[in-house]
Amino acid sequence: MPAARRRLRPLQLHARLTHSSSSDTTHFGFQNVPRHKKEDMVKSVFSSVASSYDVMNDAMSLGVHRLWKHDFVSTLNPGASGPSKCIDLAGGTGDIALRILDHAREKHYDRETTVDIVDLNPDMLKEGQKRFKQTMYHNTPQVSFHVANAQALPPAQFPSDNYDLYTIAFGIRNCTDIPAVLREAHRVLKPGGTFACLEFSRVDNSLLSTLYDSYSFSIIPLMGSIIAADRDSYQYLVESIRRFPSQPDFSEMIREAGFTTGAPREGKGGAWRNLWGGVAAIHTGVKL
Amino acid sequence: MDTFPRICFRAILQHALPLISTHGFTRKTLSLAVMQLPNPHSQPLSETAITALFGNGDDARRTLINGWLKGGLEDMQHGKTTGGTMQHILKRRLRWNEPVLEHLPEAFALLVAPQQTLPRLDIRPAISHAASVADEACYLTSDIPEGTSWYVRRAVIASIYTAAELHQITSPQTSEAFLDELLEKSESVRRVVAESSLFAEYVGKSWGSLIKSRGIF
Repeated sequence: MPAARRRLRPLQLHARLTHSSSSDTTHFGFQNVPRHKKEDMVKSVFSSVASSYDVMNDAMSLGVHRLWKHDFVSTLNPGASGPSKCIDLAGGTGDIALRILDHAREKHYDRETTVDIVDLNPDMLKEGQKRFKQTMYHNTPQVSFHVANAQALPPAQFPSDNYDLYTIAFGIRNCTDIPAVLREAHRVLKPGGTFACLEFSRVDNSLLSTLYDSYSFSIIPLMGSIIAADRDSYQYLVESIRRFPSQPDFSEMIREAGFTTGAPREGKGGAWRNLWGGVAAIHTGVKL
Repeated sequence: MDTFPRICFRAILQHALPLISTHGFTRKTLSLAVMQLPNPHSQPLSETAITALFGNGDDARRTLINGWLKGGLEDMQHGKTTGGTMQHILKRRLRWNEPVLEHLPEAFALLVAPQQTLPRLDIRPAISHAASVADEACYLTSDIPEGTSWYVRRAVIASIYTAAELHQITSPQTSEAFLDELLEKSESVRRVVAESSLFAEYVGKSWGSLIKSRGIF
Protein backbone atom coordinates (compact mmCIF):
# COMPACT_ATOMS: atom_id res chain seq x y z
CA MET A 1 0.00 0.00 0.00
CA PRO A 2 2.72 2.57 0.91
CA ALA A 3 4.48 1.79 -2.42
CA ALA A 4 1.23 2.39 -4.35
CA ARG A 5 0.74 5.70 -2.53
CA ARG A 6 4.26 6.83 -3.54
CA ARG A 7 3.32 6.43 -7.23
CA LEU A 8 0.14 8.53 -6.83
CA ARG A 9 1.81 11.91 -7.63
CA PRO A 10 -0.46 13.93 -5.28
CA LEU A 11 0.72 17.29 -6.68
CA GLN A 12 -1.00 16.58 -10.01
CA LEU A 13 -4.26 17.45 -8.21
CA HIS A 14 -3.40 21.11 -8.28
CA ALA A 15 -3.50 21.27 -12.14
CA ARG A 16 -7.30 21.06 -11.99
CA LEU A 17 -7.54 23.26 -8.92
CA THR A 18 -5.77 26.27 -10.45
CA HIS A 19 -8.83 26.91 -12.62
CA SER A 20 -11.04 27.21 -9.55
CA SER A 21 -13.08 30.39 -9.36
CA SER A 22 -12.71 30.56 -5.56
CA SER A 23 -10.96 33.71 -4.35
CA ASP A 24 -10.18 32.18 -0.94
CA THR A 25 -6.80 30.70 -1.79
CA THR A 26 -3.61 29.94 0.03
CA HIS A 27 -0.15 28.87 -0.95
CA PHE A 28 0.85 25.26 -1.50
CA GLY A 29 4.53 25.65 -2.15
CA PHE A 30 4.71 28.20 -4.96
CA GLN A 31 1.18 27.42 -6.21
CA ASN A 32 -2.02 28.99 -5.00
CA VAL A 33 -4.73 26.53 -4.10
CA PRO A 34 -8.17 26.82 -2.47
CA ARG A 35 -7.81 26.96 1.29
CA HIS A 36 -10.13 24.03 1.91
CA LYS A 37 -8.01 21.80 -0.31
CA LYS A 38 -4.62 22.52 1.21
CA GLU A 39 -5.08 20.27 4.22
CA ASP A 40 -5.85 17.22 2.09
CA MET A 41 -2.98 18.00 -0.24
CA VAL A 42 -0.52 18.31 2.63
CA LYS A 43 -1.90 15.11 4.08
CA SER A 44 -1.25 13.23 0.88
CA VAL A 45 2.27 14.67 0.58
CA PHE A 46 3.12 13.29 3.99
CA SER A 47 1.39 9.99 3.36
CA SER A 48 3.58 9.73 0.32
CA VAL A 49 6.82 10.46 2.16
CA ALA A 50 6.06 8.84 5.54
CA SER A 51 7.96 5.59 5.14
CA SER A 52 11.15 7.29 3.90
CA TYR A 53 10.81 10.51 5.88
CA ASP A 54 13.76 10.02 8.22
CA VAL A 55 16.06 8.71 5.48
CA MET A 56 15.20 11.69 3.32
CA ASN A 57 15.76 14.13 6.16
CA ASP A 58 19.22 12.66 6.67
CA ALA A 59 19.99 12.85 2.95
CA MET A 60 18.61 16.38 2.46
CA SER A 61 20.26 17.96 5.45
CA LEU A 62 23.34 15.69 5.48
CA GLY A 63 22.35 14.62 8.97
CA VAL A 64 22.29 18.19 10.26
CA HIS A 65 18.60 17.98 11.17
CA ARG A 66 19.63 15.68 14.04
CA LEU A 67 21.92 18.39 15.42
CA TRP A 68 19.13 20.95 15.15
CA LYS A 69 16.65 18.71 16.94
CA HIS A 70 19.21 17.91 19.62
CA ASP A 71 19.87 21.65 20.07
CA PHE A 72 16.11 22.32 20.17
CA VAL A 73 15.42 19.81 22.93
CA SER A 74 18.58 20.66 24.91
CA THR A 75 17.60 24.32 24.91
CA LEU A 76 14.12 23.50 26.23
CA ASN A 77 15.68 21.24 28.88
CA PRO A 78 12.51 19.28 29.73
CA GLY A 79 12.43 17.82 33.21
CA ALA A 80 14.63 20.54 34.74
CA SER A 81 11.77 21.87 36.87
CA GLY A 82 10.18 18.50 37.53
CA PRO A 83 8.00 16.22 35.42
CA SER A 84 6.43 18.02 32.46
CA LYS A 85 3.31 17.38 30.45
CA CYS A 86 4.33 17.92 26.85
CA ILE A 87 2.51 17.95 23.53
CA ASP A 88 4.34 17.59 20.26
CA LEU A 89 2.43 18.68 17.17
CA ALA A 90 3.20 17.40 13.68
CA GLY A 91 5.33 14.94 15.59
CA GLY A 92 4.31 11.86 13.63
CA THR A 93 7.61 10.02 13.49
CA GLY A 94 8.27 10.66 17.16
CA ASP A 95 11.69 12.23 16.69
CA ILE A 96 11.18 15.15 19.07
CA ALA A 97 9.08 13.20 21.56
CA LEU A 98 11.77 10.55 21.93
CA ARG A 99 14.42 13.20 22.45
CA ILE A 100 12.28 14.91 25.10
CA LEU A 101 11.78 11.71 27.05
CA ASP A 102 15.44 10.69 26.74
CA HIS A 103 16.63 14.13 27.84
CA ALA A 104 14.34 14.18 30.88
CA ARG A 105 15.47 10.66 31.83
CA GLU A 106 19.20 11.07 31.23
CA LYS A 107 19.73 14.60 32.53
CA HIS A 108 17.14 14.79 35.31
CA TYR A 109 16.36 11.15 36.19
CA ASP A 110 12.80 11.92 35.26
CA ARG A 111 10.48 9.06 34.28
CA GLU A 112 7.25 10.99 34.82
CA THR A 113 7.43 13.46 31.93
CA THR A 114 4.83 12.60 29.29
CA VAL A 115 4.49 13.50 25.63
CA ASP A 116 1.28 13.44 23.60
CA ILE A 117 2.29 13.09 19.94
CA VAL A 118 -0.27 14.65 17.63
CA ASP A 119 -0.30 14.52 13.84
CA LEU A 120 -2.84 15.07 11.11
CA ASN A 121 -1.49 12.11 9.19
CA PRO A 122 -2.09 8.56 10.46
CA ASP A 123 0.73 7.19 8.28
CA MET A 124 3.28 9.43 9.96
CA LEU A 125 1.96 8.36 13.38
CA LYS A 126 2.34 4.71 12.39
CA GLU A 127 6.01 5.36 11.67
CA GLY A 128 6.28 6.94 15.10
CA GLN A 129 4.64 3.99 16.79
CA LYS A 130 7.06 1.64 15.03
CA ARG A 131 10.00 3.70 16.28
CA PHE A 132 8.72 3.73 19.85
CA LYS A 133 8.28 -0.02 19.88
CA GLN A 134 12.07 -0.24 19.93
CA THR A 135 12.31 1.92 23.06
CA MET A 136 11.57 1.53 26.77
CA TYR A 137 8.65 3.96 26.46
CA HIS A 138 6.49 1.60 24.41
CA ASN A 139 3.24 0.70 26.22
CA THR A 140 3.96 3.19 29.02
CA PRO A 141 1.89 6.22 29.99
CA GLN A 142 4.84 8.44 28.99
CA VAL A 143 3.86 8.50 25.31
CA SER A 144 0.57 8.49 23.42
CA PHE A 145 -0.38 9.03 19.78
CA HIS A 146 -3.32 11.08 18.51
CA VAL A 147 -4.66 12.01 15.08
CA ALA A 148 -5.83 15.61 15.23
CA ASN A 149 -5.62 18.93 13.44
CA ALA A 150 -3.27 21.44 15.07
CA GLN A 151 -5.60 24.25 13.97
CA ALA A 152 -8.55 22.80 15.89
CA LEU A 153 -7.55 20.41 18.67
CA PRO A 154 -10.70 18.78 20.07
CA PRO A 155 -11.23 20.32 23.53
CA ALA A 156 -12.52 17.05 24.94
CA GLN A 157 -9.26 15.32 24.08
CA PHE A 158 -6.99 18.38 24.56
CA PRO A 159 -8.44 20.53 27.34
CA SER A 160 -7.36 24.12 27.97
CA ASP A 161 -4.53 25.00 30.36
CA ASN A 162 -3.24 21.46 30.34
CA TYR A 163 0.36 21.33 29.06
CA ASP A 164 3.71 22.63 30.29
CA LEU A 165 5.43 22.44 26.92
CA TYR A 166 4.13 22.63 23.35
CA THR A 167 6.58 21.76 20.58
CA ILE A 168 6.22 21.75 16.82
CA ALA A 169 9.21 20.91 14.65
CA PHE A 170 9.23 21.33 10.86
CA GLY A 171 5.44 21.16 10.81
CA ILE A 172 3.91 24.60 11.19
CA ARG A 173 4.79 25.74 7.69
CA ASN A 174 2.46 23.05 6.32
CA CYS A 175 -0.55 24.41 8.22
CA THR A 176 -3.13 26.43 6.31
CA ASP A 177 -3.92 28.79 9.18
CA ILE A 178 -0.81 29.46 11.24
CA PRO A 179 -2.52 31.97 13.60
CA ALA A 180 -5.13 29.29 14.40
CA VAL A 181 -2.35 26.85 15.31
CA LEU A 182 -0.78 29.47 17.58
CA ARG A 183 -4.15 30.23 19.24
CA GLU A 184 -4.71 26.56 19.91
CA ALA A 185 -1.19 26.29 21.33
CA HIS A 186 -1.99 29.18 23.65
CA ARG A 187 -5.23 27.53 24.70
CA VAL A 188 -3.82 24.16 25.65
CA LEU A 189 -0.76 25.49 27.49
CA LYS A 190 -0.92 26.20 31.21
CA PRO A 191 -0.05 29.71 32.44
CA GLY A 192 3.74 29.69 32.52
CA GLY A 193 3.85 27.03 29.80
CA THR A 194 6.26 27.32 26.88
CA PHE A 195 5.64 27.26 23.14
CA ALA A 196 8.61 26.22 21.01
CA CYS A 197 8.83 25.94 17.26
CA LEU A 198 11.74 24.63 15.19
CA GLU A 199 11.28 25.47 11.53
CA PHE A 200 13.15 26.21 8.35
CA SER A 201 13.52 29.93 7.99
CA ARG A 202 15.10 32.80 6.06
CA VAL A 203 18.86 32.89 5.59
CA ASP A 204 20.21 36.34 6.36
CA ASN A 205 23.54 36.02 4.55
CA SER A 206 23.23 36.66 0.79
CA LEU A 207 26.07 34.31 -0.24
CA LEU A 208 24.79 31.49 1.94
CA SER A 209 21.28 32.21 0.67
CA THR A 210 22.38 31.74 -2.96
CA LEU A 211 24.12 28.45 -2.17
CA TYR A 212 21.17 27.29 -0.11
CA ASP A 213 18.67 28.09 -2.90
CA SER A 214 20.76 26.20 -5.45
CA TYR A 215 21.00 23.20 -3.14
CA SER A 216 17.29 23.29 -2.22
CA PHE A 217 15.83 23.59 -5.69
CA SER A 218 18.25 21.33 -7.54
CA ILE A 219 19.57 18.67 -5.21
CA ILE A 220 16.70 18.01 -2.82
CA PRO A 221 13.96 17.24 -5.38
CA LEU A 222 16.51 15.08 -7.25
CA MET A 223 17.21 13.18 -4.05
CA GLY A 224 13.46 12.84 -3.59
CA SER A 225 13.11 11.21 -6.96
CA ILE A 226 16.07 8.87 -6.42
CA ILE A 227 15.63 7.86 -2.76
CA ALA A 228 11.85 8.18 -2.31
CA ALA A 229 10.66 7.98 -5.96
CA ASP A 230 8.64 11.14 -5.32
CA ARG A 231 10.18 14.30 -6.74
CA ASP A 232 7.00 16.38 -6.55
CA SER A 233 6.45 15.93 -2.83
CA TYR A 234 9.99 17.07 -2.09
CA GLN A 235 9.60 19.96 -4.50
CA TYR A 236 6.60 21.02 -2.42
CA LEU A 237 8.59 20.68 0.81
CA VAL A 238 11.33 22.94 -0.54
CA GLU A 239 8.85 25.52 -1.88
CA SER A 240 6.86 25.57 1.37
CA ILE A 241 10.03 26.67 3.21
CA ARG A 242 10.27 29.77 1.00
CA ARG A 243 6.64 30.74 1.68
CA PHE A 244 6.98 30.67 5.46
CA PRO A 245 7.06 34.11 7.20
CA SER A 246 10.40 35.62 8.12
CA GLN A 247 11.73 35.32 11.65
CA PRO A 248 10.56 38.80 12.83
CA ASP A 249 7.13 38.30 11.23
CA PHE A 250 6.66 34.88 12.78
CA SER A 251 7.72 36.11 16.22
CA GLU A 252 5.14 38.91 15.90
CA MET A 253 2.49 36.29 15.05
CA ILE A 254 3.47 34.42 18.21
CA ARG A 255 3.01 37.59 20.26
CA GLU A 256 -0.31 38.31 18.60
CA ALA A 257 -1.53 34.89 19.70
CA GLY A 258 -1.04 36.05 23.29
CA PHE A 259 2.43 34.72 24.05
CA THR A 260 5.20 36.70 25.70
CA THR A 261 8.49 36.35 23.87
CA GLY A 262 12.02 37.56 24.50
CA ALA A 263 13.33 40.78 22.96
CA PRO A 264 12.23 41.18 19.31
CA ARG A 265 15.64 40.21 17.91
CA GLU A 266 17.71 37.16 17.12
CA GLY A 267 20.03 35.49 19.58
CA LYS A 268 20.45 35.06 23.29
CA GLY A 269 17.45 36.45 25.12
CA GLY A 270 15.74 37.14 21.81
CA ALA A 271 12.40 35.94 20.46
CA TRP A 272 14.18 33.53 18.11
CA ARG A 273 17.55 31.95 17.54
CA ASN A 274 18.93 31.19 14.09
CA LEU A 275 20.62 27.91 13.35
CA TRP A 276 23.17 27.77 10.54
CA GLY A 277 22.70 31.41 9.59
CA GLY A 278 18.90 31.15 9.45
CA VAL A 279 18.51 27.89 7.51
CA ALA A 280 16.46 26.89 10.56
CA ALA A 281 15.28 28.91 13.54
CA ILE A 282 13.95 28.18 17.01
CA HIS A 283 11.08 30.47 18.08
CA THR A 284 9.87 30.43 21.68
CA GLY A 285 7.12 32.09 23.68
CA VAL A 286 5.60 31.76 27.12
CA LYS A 287 1.94 31.96 28.11
CA LEU A 288 1.72 34.42 30.98
CA MET B 1 -10.94 33.63 24.00
CA ASP B 2 -7.64 35.15 25.15
CA THR B 3 -8.25 35.98 28.82
CA PHE B 4 -4.58 36.65 29.54
CA PRO B 5 -3.40 40.24 28.88
CA ARG B 6 -0.16 40.45 26.95
CA ILE B 7 2.71 40.86 29.38
CA CYS B 8 5.97 42.17 27.99
CA PHE B 9 9.14 40.36 29.01
CA ARG B 10 10.45 43.78 30.13
CA ALA B 11 7.70 43.91 32.76
CA ILE B 12 9.00 40.65 34.21
CA LEU B 13 12.52 42.08 34.21
CA GLN B 14 11.25 45.20 36.03
CA HIS B 15 9.56 43.10 38.70
CA ALA B 16 12.71 41.01 39.09
CA LEU B 17 14.89 43.99 40.08
CA PRO B 18 13.63 44.32 43.69
CA LEU B 19 14.24 40.60 44.21
CA ILE B 20 17.94 40.78 43.34
CA SER B 21 18.99 41.84 46.83
CA THR B 22 17.50 38.61 48.23
CA HIS B 23 18.13 36.09 45.48
CA GLY B 24 21.04 37.61 43.55
CA PHE B 25 21.47 37.83 39.78
CA THR B 26 20.10 34.34 39.26
CA ARG B 27 17.57 32.52 37.13
CA LYS B 28 15.59 31.98 40.34
CA THR B 29 15.10 35.75 40.60
CA LEU B 30 13.60 35.82 37.12
CA SER B 31 11.40 32.82 37.85
CA LEU B 32 10.01 34.42 41.02
CA ALA B 33 9.34 37.75 39.29
CA VAL B 34 6.04 36.49 37.81
CA MET B 35 4.70 36.18 41.35
CA GLN B 36 5.17 39.95 41.73
CA LEU B 37 3.18 40.90 38.62
CA PRO B 38 -0.09 42.87 39.01
CA ASN B 39 -1.87 39.58 38.12
CA PRO B 40 0.54 37.31 39.96
CA HIS B 41 1.15 33.71 39.05
CA SER B 42 0.77 31.11 41.75
CA GLN B 43 3.92 29.28 40.66
CA PRO B 44 7.38 30.50 39.67
CA LEU B 45 8.32 30.20 36.00
CA SER B 46 9.87 26.91 34.89
CA GLU B 47 13.46 26.64 33.66
CA THR B 48 12.13 26.13 30.13
CA ALA B 49 10.13 29.37 30.31
CA ILE B 50 13.12 31.32 31.67
CA THR B 51 15.20 30.04 28.76
CA ALA B 52 12.46 30.93 26.29
CA LEU B 53 12.25 34.53 27.54
CA PHE B 54 15.73 35.42 28.68
CA GLY B 55 18.19 32.89 27.24
CA ASN B 56 19.88 29.66 28.15
CA GLY B 57 22.10 29.14 31.22
CA ASP B 58 24.06 32.26 32.19
CA ASP B 59 22.62 34.22 29.26
CA ALA B 60 19.46 34.75 31.35
CA ARG B 61 21.59 36.05 34.23
CA ARG B 62 23.35 38.45 31.84
CA THR B 63 19.98 39.67 30.62
CA LEU B 64 19.02 40.34 34.25
CA ILE B 65 22.31 42.14 34.97
CA ASN B 66 21.94 44.31 31.87
CA GLY B 67 18.35 45.07 32.87
CA TRP B 68 19.55 46.13 36.32
CA LEU B 69 22.29 48.34 34.81
CA LYS B 70 19.69 49.97 32.60
CA GLY B 71 17.51 50.54 35.67
CA GLY B 72 20.46 52.32 37.27
CA LEU B 73 20.72 54.68 34.30
CA GLU B 74 17.00 55.47 34.52
CA ASP B 75 17.31 56.08 38.27
CA MET B 76 20.06 58.65 37.66
CA GLN B 77 17.45 60.90 36.06
CA HIS B 78 15.86 61.36 39.47
CA GLY B 79 19.19 62.78 40.64
CA LYS B 80 18.71 65.67 38.24
CA THR B 81 15.70 66.92 40.18
CA THR B 82 17.39 66.69 43.59
CA GLY B 83 20.56 68.66 43.02
CA GLY B 84 21.55 68.20 39.46
CA THR B 85 25.31 68.45 39.89
CA MET B 86 27.71 65.79 38.63
CA GLN B 87 28.43 64.91 42.26
CA HIS B 88 24.75 64.32 43.12
CA ILE B 89 24.06 62.27 40.02
CA LEU B 90 27.08 60.00 40.42
CA LYS B 91 26.33 59.54 44.11
CA ARG B 92 22.79 58.58 43.22
CA ARG B 93 24.18 55.97 40.85
CA LEU B 94 26.39 54.59 43.60
CA ARG B 95 23.37 54.36 45.90
CA TRP B 96 21.61 52.23 43.26
CA ASN B 97 24.36 49.63 43.89
CA GLU B 98 23.87 49.53 47.66
CA PRO B 99 21.05 46.94 47.99
CA VAL B 100 22.90 44.46 45.73
CA LEU B 101 26.49 45.19 46.70
CA GLU B 102 27.28 41.65 47.83
CA HIS B 103 26.18 40.27 44.45
CA LEU B 104 28.01 42.82 42.31
CA PRO B 105 31.46 41.19 42.10
CA GLU B 106 29.91 37.99 40.74
CA ALA B 107 27.69 39.98 38.35
CA PHE B 108 30.61 41.93 36.90
CA ALA B 109 32.69 38.77 36.66
CA LEU B 110 29.89 37.11 34.72
CA LEU B 111 29.71 40.02 32.30
CA VAL B 112 33.40 39.89 31.45
CA ALA B 113 33.63 36.08 31.50
CA PRO B 114 34.45 34.62 28.07
CA GLN B 115 31.51 33.25 26.10
CA GLN B 116 33.72 31.90 23.34
CA THR B 117 37.17 30.31 23.40
CA LEU B 118 38.76 33.68 22.53
CA PRO B 119 39.08 36.32 23.85
CA ARG B 120 39.79 34.92 27.29
CA LEU B 121 38.34 38.02 28.88
CA ASP B 122 35.79 40.35 27.34
CA ILE B 123 36.17 43.80 28.93
CA ARG B 124 33.73 45.46 26.53
CA PRO B 125 30.75 45.18 28.92
CA ALA B 126 32.80 46.85 31.68
CA ILE B 127 33.83 49.70 29.37
CA SER B 128 30.28 50.02 28.06
CA HIS B 129 28.87 50.23 31.61
CA ALA B 130 31.30 52.99 32.68
CA ALA B 131 30.82 54.86 29.41
CA SER B 132 27.00 54.70 29.71
CA VAL B 133 27.08 56.10 33.24
CA ALA B 134 29.46 58.88 32.21
CA ASP B 135 27.41 59.77 29.14
CA GLU B 136 24.16 59.85 31.11
CA ALA B 137 25.72 61.96 33.88
CA CYS B 138 27.16 64.47 31.38
CA TYR B 139 23.81 64.66 29.59
CA LEU B 140 21.86 65.22 32.81
CA THR B 141 24.23 67.96 33.97
CA SER B 142 24.10 69.57 30.53
CA ASP B 143 27.88 69.14 30.41
CA ILE B 144 28.24 69.06 26.65
CA PRO B 145 31.67 70.34 25.57
CA GLU B 146 32.56 70.51 21.93
CA GLY B 147 35.14 68.77 19.80
CA THR B 148 37.57 66.36 21.39
CA SER B 149 36.69 67.70 24.85
CA TRP B 150 33.43 65.73 24.56
CA TYR B 151 35.36 62.46 24.59
CA VAL B 152 37.94 63.60 27.14
CA ARG B 153 35.26 64.68 29.60
CA ARG B 154 33.39 61.41 29.32
CA ALA B 155 36.58 59.37 29.63
CA VAL B 156 37.48 61.27 32.81
CA ILE B 157 34.02 60.81 34.36
CA ALA B 158 33.97 57.12 33.37
CA SER B 159 37.36 56.58 35.03
CA ILE B 160 36.27 58.41 38.18
CA TYR B 161 33.04 56.45 38.41
CA THR B 162 34.78 53.10 37.81
CA ALA B 163 37.29 53.84 40.56
CA ALA B 164 34.52 54.92 42.96
CA GLU B 165 32.43 51.82 42.18
CA LEU B 166 35.37 49.47 42.77
CA HIS B 167 36.09 51.31 46.02
CA GLN B 168 32.43 50.90 47.01
CA ILE B 169 32.62 47.12 46.67
CA THR B 170 35.48 46.92 49.19
CA SER B 171 34.57 49.88 51.42
CA PRO B 172 30.97 51.01 50.96
CA GLN B 173 30.99 53.53 53.85
CA THR B 174 33.75 55.68 52.35
CA SER B 175 32.72 55.45 48.70
CA GLU B 176 30.95 58.83 48.55
CA ALA B 177 33.86 60.64 50.19
CA PHE B 178 36.20 58.89 47.74
CA LEU B 179 34.05 60.05 44.83
CA ASP B 180 34.10 63.66 46.12
CA GLU B 181 37.88 63.52 46.38
CA LEU B 182 38.29 62.19 42.83
CA LEU B 183 35.92 64.80 41.37
CA GLU B 184 37.79 67.57 43.19
CA LYS B 185 41.15 66.31 41.96
CA SER B 186 39.89 66.00 38.41
CA GLU B 187 38.59 69.59 38.61
CA SER B 188 41.96 70.86 39.81
CA VAL B 189 43.76 68.78 37.15
CA ARG B 190 41.43 70.25 34.53
CA ARG B 191 42.24 73.78 35.75
CA VAL B 192 45.96 73.05 35.75
CA VAL B 193 45.79 71.54 32.26
CA ALA B 194 43.76 74.52 30.97
CA GLU B 195 46.17 77.04 32.50
CA SER B 196 49.18 75.08 31.31
CA SER B 197 47.89 74.92 27.76
CA LEU B 198 47.15 78.68 27.87
CA PHE B 199 50.67 79.33 29.13
CA ALA B 200 52.17 76.98 26.53
CA GLU B 201 50.21 78.79 23.81
CA TYR B 202 51.51 82.13 25.08
CA VAL B 203 55.09 80.87 25.14
CA GLY B 204 54.69 79.35 21.66
CA LYS B 205 53.35 82.61 20.22
CA SER B 206 56.16 84.57 21.88
CA TRP B 207 58.80 82.32 20.35
CA GLY B 208 57.07 82.57 17.00
CA SER B 209 57.17 86.36 17.16
CA LEU B 210 60.84 86.33 18.21
CA ILE B 211 61.80 84.10 15.32
CA LYS B 212 59.88 86.26 12.84
CA SER B 213 61.50 89.44 14.18
CA ARG B 214 64.96 87.91 13.59
CA GLY B 215 64.09 87.46 9.93
CA ILE B 216 65.00 83.77 9.94
CA PHE B 217 61.89 82.87 7.90
